[in-house]
Amino acid sequence: MAADITSPVAMRARKKRRDDNGSLTVGRSRAGTIVANTVGIVFGVLMLFPVYWVLNTAFKPADEVLALEPGFWPSNPTFDNFISAFKAPLFLQDMLNGVVITLFAVAGALVVGFLGALAIARFSFYGRKAIILVVLVVQLVPFLALLIPLFLMLQNVNLGFTTLNLTDSLIGVSITYLVLILPYTVWTLRGFISGIPRELDEAAMIDGCTRAQVFWRIILPLTGPGLVATSVYGFIQAWNEFIIINTLNSPDKQNLMAWLLQNQTTRGTAWGPLMAGAIITSIPVVIFFLIIQRNIATGLTAGAVKG
Amino acid sequence: MSVVDSPATRRPRDPGGPQQNRVPGHAAPRRRKRNSGLVPWLLALPALLFIAGLLGYPLIRMLVLSFQNMRLRELISGRTPPWVGFDQYTRVLSDGVFWGVVGRTVAFTVVSVLISVVCGLGIALLMRRVSHGVRLFMIIAMMFVWALPQLVAAQIFRWMTDSDFGVVNYLIDLLPGVNYQNHSWFVNPWQGWSVITTLVVWAGIPFLAITLNAGLTQVPKELLEAATVDGATPWQSLRNIILPILKPLLMIVTTLSVIWNFGLFTQAWVLRDGHPEPQFQTLATYSYTQAFGQARYSLGSAIAVITVLLMFGVMVFYIRQMFRIGEVD
Repeated sequence: MAADITSPVAMRARKKRRDDNGSLTVGRSRAGTIVANTVGIVFGVLMLFPVYWVLNTAFKPADEVLALEPGFWPSNPTFDNFISAFKAPLFLQDMLNGVVITLFAVAGALVVGFLGALAIARFSFYGRKAIILVVLVVQLVPFLALLIPLFLMLQNVNLGFTTLNLTDSLIGVSITYLVLILPYTVWTLRGFISGIPRELDEAAMIDGCTRAQVFWRIILPLTGPGLVATSVYGFIQAWNEFIIINTLNSPDKQNLMAWLLQNQTTRGTAWGPLMAGAIITSIPVVIFFLIIQRNIATGLTAGAVKG
Repeated sequence: MSVVDSPATRRPRDPGGPQQNRVPGHAAPRRRKRNSGLVPWLLALPALLFIAGLLGYPLIRMLVLSFQNMRLRELISGRTPPWVGFDQYTRVLSDGVFWGVVGRTVAFTVVSVLISVVCGLGIALLMRRVSHGVRLFMIIAMMFVWALPQLVAAQIFRWMTDSDFGVVNYLIDLLPGVNYQNHSWFVNPWQGWSVITTLVVWAGIPFLAITLNAGLTQVPKELLEAATVDGATPWQSLRNIILPILKPLLMIVTTLSVIWNFGLFTQAWVLRDGHPEPQFQTLATYSYTQAFGQARYSLGSAIAVITVLLMFGVMVFYIRQMFRIGEVD
């Protein structure tokens, strides 16, 4: 595919495609475009409405939130809801927990996953196919189904000399999250590593590099962007998880997502602070997501788009 | 060890003229294969250990558990629960409630995936037709929806459909002759499920539309032009040109949607305040409530095993598609 880009035919094709705006419809009429644009705008507005509504609610004072006639714009915008979310019990504690758990899980999955991806992408060996199969299969096993045995297992971790109870601890969930994002990490990094031409490895080796040097000087730097994208996706996965942590841990050892879930079961939901909390919780995810959005779909459907 | 491959070290050992030129090209790949016997396994070992420990072992434990009878008493005392053979399965499979849950989950999956994929494809096609600015607006709108955490999205919908202060009731009530004040959306299961389906479709469209839109760029324009010149209607172009080319991608995204929607948990759970009524139970929530709500860990495991078995065909299909990709490069 890389070779195609420089060929004159491909250049012409690309130029042509750009000329008519990538449209697939031939002989488009002006009226048709107006109809299409209208439908497109209506669709976009409908999609954004819930997002707009959560922002609208979060900035309203309490009496406006619970108005029988909801205002479509906060008439007295206020940060009260955000302040009461921050002041709410366990909010900051759970935020800190979430950060610690997520960072541990992502860092661990990245190191472990990178080595695994290297094995699948750069070596041909007996058992490679089996490993690929394992990575793909475990990606599909619904983690929720494993929750029961996982809960029982973490309650009683036998180390030989002593037994540990890893439920209601940050360590237990951190390791669980690491494994949760590991298969995806291996699979995506595999794609990035095989994208680096083998010729580069070989050239470096001819120039006297050892295998380890090839790894440090060629593969690792060139996989940099891939590592960033993969870790951000892992971050999102771990940050968004709440079922496991809600089942394994008590409220003071949970994350913000579980905090949002707990908040609803108190009598009469405080919608304003809840929506403000939802926004605070979403901000890192949304920012990260927008940065790496191009890479997310590729990991799931990689190769299927190839011409 | 690979230093041996470099010509500099080989020359003194093997000072053959023409032969030497031939050897490096042939020897390099073979040597790599032979030398890498243990290295790849060592590299993959940590990943395999983690997967075996926290995915493989629980999977086996789940199977074992489903043949036992683990209740709260065994959980606390740590004793091995009694073996009951296929009792849990007979109990589940002869239970009308369970089959109701299965039917509901399957029906929801079929309907929601159908709507999502058709809408996603429609939006993807629409994105090719609109002006540049509008397309950008659509992409930005979808990106925000896609980025929202599932739980947050579900909370927003719960708030919007709140019976007293929800904006949805307010807007519907504005229609002349309709009284939707204090309307509760979850009394009637059909209405409740349409809220859940709307949420799932709304959240699922961005992935589908943006991925399919990327796939549409692979359709050669010349083909469509030729078809139009030959008098094909837009519908015929879609059916006979675009869809066949898009088929592999369409299959993968549909499979993924089936896997995701079949495992519906968060949306039903949050919209029903963590206590889904019987008519809002899916296989995932049912297994969870049986295990952690009623302390019937073995029964919950049996339901989870059956859920995985029901998904088996779809999963095998997805894995086969992805496996082919992994093998090629």
